[in-house]
Amino acid sequence: MSTQSLETPRARRLSPWPFILLAIAVAVPLLPYFTNVSHFVLSIFMQASTYAIAVLGMVVVLGYTGQINLAQAAFFGFGAYGVALGTVSYGLSFWLSLAMGIGIAGLAGGILGLTTLRLGGHYLAMITISFQQIFDLVAVNWIQVTHGPDGIAGIARPSLFGHDLSDDRAYLLLCSLVLYAMMAAVWYLPQTRLGRAMRGVRENELAAEVVGVHTLRTKVIAFTLCAALGGVGGGLYAGGFAYISPDNFNFQRAVEFLSMVLLGGVQSPFGGALGTTLLILLPEWLKEMPPSLQFIKDVYLAIYGLAVILIMVFMPEGIWGLLRSKWMKFGRTAPVDTSGIKLLNLDIAVTEATPLLKLEGLRKYFGGLRAVDGIDLEISRGTVHALIGPNGSGKTTTLNVVNGIYRPTGGRIIIDGSDVTLKSPHERAAHGLGRTFQNIRLFPSMSALENVIVGAQRDNNPIEPGGKALVARAMSALQFVGLADRADAIVRSLPYGHQRLVEIARALAGHPKLLLLDEPAAGLNQTEKMELVELLKKLRSGHGLTVFLIDHDMGLVEKVSDRITVLNFGKKIAEGTPQEVLRHPDVIAAYLGDSNAAA
Amino acid sequence: MRVSLLCALSAGAMASLFVFSAAADSVRIGLISEITGPNAEAGSYTVNGARLAVDAVNKKGGILGKQIELVIEDNQSTNPGTVLAFSKLGGNTDIPAIIGPIRSTQVQAASPTIQKAGIPVMIGGTDPSLTHVNNPWVFRCRPNDTFSSRVIADFGVTKLKLKKWAIVHSTDAFGSGGQKALVDALKTLGVEPVLIQGYTNNSQDFTPVVLAIKKSGADVIGTYMTNSQDLGIFAKQLRQLGVAATWVGSPSIVTDTAMKLAGESLHGTYGIADFNPDANAEAKIFATAYRAKYNLEPDVYSSWAYDALNVIAAAMNAAKSTKPDDVRKAILGLKNWKGVEGNYTFDENGDGLRGYNIVKNEGGKVKFVEHINVDK
Amino acid sequence: MDALANNFQVLFQGLALGSIYALVALGFVLIIRATNVVNFAQGDFAMLGAYLMVAFMVSAGLPYWLSFLLALVGMGLFGLVFNYGVYYPLRHRGFLPVIISTLGASIFLQNTVLAIFGAQPKRLDNVVAGGIQIGSVFLDSQYLVILAVTMVMVAFQYFFFEHTMLGKKLQATSQDKDMARLLGIPVALMIAITFVYSSALGGLAGVLVGPVLFVSIGMGSIIALKAFAATIIGGFGDVKGAIVGGLFIGVIESFAAFYISVPYKDAYAFLMLFLVLVFRPQGFFGERVSEKA
Repeated sequence: MSTQSLETPRARRLSPWPFILLAIAVAVPLLPYFTNVSHFVLSIFMQASTYAIAVLGMVVVLGYTGQINLAQAAFFGFGAYGVALGTVSYGLSFWLSLAMGIGIAGLAGGILGLTTLRLGGHYLAMITISFQQIFDLVAVNWIQVTHGPDGIAGIARPSLFGHDLSDDRAYLLLCSLVLYAMMAAVWYLPQTRLGRAMRGVRENELAAEVVGVHTLRTKVIAFTLCAALGGVGGGLYAGGFAYISPDNFNFQRAVEFLSMVLLGGVQSPFGGALGTTLLILLPEWLKEMPPSLQFIKDVYLAIYGLAVILIMVFMPEGIWGLLRSKWMKFGRTAPVDTSGIKLLNLDIAVTEATPLLKLEGLRKYFGGLRAVDGIDLEISRGTVHALIGPNGSGKTTTLNVVNGIYRPTGGRIIIDGSDVTLKSPHERAAHGLGRTFQNIRLFPSMSALENVIVGAQRDNNPIEPGGKALVARAMSALQFVGLADRADAIVRSLPYGHQRLVEIARALAGHPKLLLLDEPAAGLNQTEKMELVELLKKLRSGHGLTVFLIDHDMGLVEKVSDRITVLNFGKKIAEGTPQEVLRHPDVIAAYLGDSNAAA
Repeated sequence: MRVSLLCALSAGAMASLFVFSAAADSVRIGLISEITGPNAEAGSYTVNGARLAVDAVNKKGGILGKQIELVIEDNQSTNPGTVLAFSKLGGNTDIPAIIGPIRSTQVQAASPTIQKAGIPVMIGGTDPSLTHVNNPWVFRCRPNDTFSSRVIADFGVTKLKLKKWAIVHSTDAFGSGGQKALVDALKTLGVEPVLIQGYTNNSQDFTPVVLAIKKSGADVIGTYMTNSQDLGIFAKQLRQLGVAATWVGSPSIVTDTAMKLAGESLHGTYGIADFNPDANAEAKIFATAYRAKYNLEPDVYSSWAYDALNVIAAAMNAAKSTKPDDVRKAILGLKNWKGVEGNYTFDENGDGLRGYNIVKNEGGKVKFVEHINVDK
Repeated sequence: MDALANNFQVLFQGLALGSIYALVALGFVLIIRATNVVNFAQGDFAMLGAYLMVAFMVSAGLPYWLSFLLALVGMGLFGLVFNYGVYYPLRHRGFLPVIISTLGASIFLQNTVLAIFGAQPKRLDNVVAGGIQIGSVFLDSQYLVILAVTMVMVAFQYFFFEHTMLGKKLQATSQDKDMARLLGIPVALMIAITFVYSSALGGLAGVLVGPVLFVSIGMGSIIALKAFAATIIGGFGDVKGAIVGGLFIGVIESFAAFYISVPYKDAYAFLMLFLVLVFRPQGFFGERVSEKA
């Protein structure tokens, strides 16, 4: 996969700090072989490296996917108990026990994700806390299996390829190598298909679902990965300390993991590792402080709590975010190479005469409110069809039902011959349905290119497999809307009009058969509106793409539409060519009765 | 600016791991206790007790003519913290002995580390198994729970002549260990308890427990409860729901906090206490000095640490050495050594005490009843 | 030994503790409705209220009712500080940063109180000593007070939100902030008032439950977990649901502890939560979770 152009602005002249950190990272696990390091110091390092692996899980689930997890200590515990019980109680080999521990942790994470992720935010926080508490209760009370609060002692260390790892130094080396490998994997993850899907979920879950990301699956995978990383860390921890007990894995530890990842930087594995190291060393450092500052020890945890608030308010990207922005100032962004971008292929073969979209008696009620009340509609292939009507007439609701965001109260939706009434939005995207939103829904902290790639990576997109084709497709889409030179710009920093274009490019990158545009002109100034009209005309000109749009701007609608349908109070009151419809007496009445009409 | 500050901080933290300051002309004794975390208050009493003993020993000439320096290490009130603390002090060759924690799980956690360190460690955890894991370096300066349960059983069955026992215990390590030992002790006296009821710490309501006791028709309740809130709530509800059975509890029943919380619900109950200021001459001396120095009431947290440090000093002075093996032999050689908590004679497992004081809560005051020794 | 009496006793205890969960849950719900975020420090409001009571009544020796008043006023002020310190700076940043921030606040509060008051739990006395004995059933006076106050607060809640101008403005704010803003309602002020009110409500719960559970650092966390479970079981963001959910959890865990097993008492609430989430995610009274495009 080509990663060159995928990355956020690239520095030309790098600061020396990353190399110094790298050198330290390599040196620390090797140091004990060259100089005498006490058992205590080795223990601290082992603790840091195994905790950091668990914290990497938090990077995946919280940093990348934006889902809160307050049960990481429980997943850590699964790994640790797996190794401890496997080796001590059942006499299994270390590696088998470790694998089982990781497997159980991953499974628990997946199940937790499946049953609860659909419920989102607060529920998830609560569910993970409950899960954590139950884990603790069981670990303490199920004495026959877990050995209860006394914990399990005498956990042996393994050997690997004939090398005995019972020596502290060798074991630390193992933990470090696993940590570095996991860090590399977690670092690489955002640039993969899955990683982009995760970030899409974090940035705007609804938009991600609509452009074709299976959001539930993505979240479950994120949770499984997170839990499995917790299991890896926990298993290695058990081997490292030869003793575990439930108070290693309680809610307080889960909050500690959370604090570590927040402090270091939730978006990056390096941040996670940095935060872990700092918070493990901090108590040791506090102990050595002069007596006048010893009072800090008493309020140490209070400071911890305060720090969490302050980090959230002032340093949302953590220490790593600060360091990164500092180091990045050294270089300038390289301009995007726009030569050699292929023309965007939007061709849809118009072979059948049947309508592309067919709504049959579509209804959507919210309690007593009949937002959409029995609409029949047919949209012919390759046409631009507009839906207009006064405010509250049910336009956006219709679009949301067509899109799958709302499940209809009754009626059927048929796209290209197949009934999609019960399909989820991402399945409809895979069926060739694209969409933009009235209040733009992009992935604000990702680059324009990344946004569009998420659109291009929908299932069944007729492009070649592989990352190169995705990038090429996305660049073509950006070129089509005239923003190829801004491909590397973070979307949040783009002007409003450009953001709208990026959203259109994201929809086009998925090569849709049907494109839903929800008030594309909303919030645009006159020049931008003119550009939009040109763009819409370009879309119409013979690609076979079908467009279904809502707008208040009658001028725009008239210029770009082949046919117009008018809604009022959730019912269709008129349909026809622009000329027919705009002269229809019912339409005029409907609009005159509505003072907010923009016509 | 912020970055460099950060670097300085982390460098400092790293450096602190490697630097140990060592004073040459003193004997450095380690003390691992709960300086921070939920049990920090108990930890501070332990430090008080140990410091008082250091002062006393130093005044009398110290150990082998050298002054004692106490090296205090925090275990953050957790098991992993304890393991780390032991590996820190234990890896330090100029510390010849350590006073360890009073919590059984913490000792359990650190046991392999103690074995690796190979120096005498005095402990206050009362779980019987701690001294029965073939670890030659663990010495207990409190009577273990087999003795506490035997004293409770003996006092209830033989002295009070009560045979229908209900046992209420926390499900934590201390509580379940005590429960098992009490069942065994009662069995040797020919008594089968009519009810054994566990609960998790920080239970908010003991009504089901009390109703179960009521139903069982018990005339005596033996308890192993960890938290004073739990003890307080249980005591209140027990009396409110009209259970008048005699109550003989583990040491937590006569702690200051529990008595304050429960108030008159605990009046008339019996408890066992390894420390009581009126129990013997040493205890009286210790209590007076402790009150004078700290303006606090002495308790078990301070008294056991006081004894532990004195035992170390006595053993080193007797051995004329601070070498671990010599000190170990000297500790095992102490016969009827008079301490605050009783007379110490260490058996081959490292248990120094085999008796408890029975005390009674009389109108909110702890009255010394008798000292029961259960030497075989 | 009367089985009926036992059952009644268990029911009574369950309802009383359930009332406390309900009061804290009510505070949760009000903040959820006003800000769309869960305040994970809600339980610590109860803890803080109880410690303020200890400070005024036990340490400073003030009379009960004055201490009571001061504690509630203190908690109200604290709610204001909490609003501006923990919520306000993050109000535009989505729910995750706010949740984490309230978690941080929880840790901060617990450990600050720990540093000031120490780890040993404190005692508060019942408002009225004693209780009522009916046969073998004993009704503790404090539990009766808790039940009574909860009922009064529920009635007040209803009256306040349905029949006062301020209450209606608060409701409008919780239903649609943009619309409220258009109507000239000062939304930021309304949210601040919500924090003040739920902080005082949490404090009230703490003051009431102090004599029963004693005053300790951890008292808030466990109540908050149950209260949060109550808000979800009752229906997320539903006032009626919070109260019914709280009572439900109190009764369920009381009976389950009596009939099934005492050590697993805390697990029952979470088990109920799991079951409700799997089979009726909207809770008893909630509407289906509806997404908005």
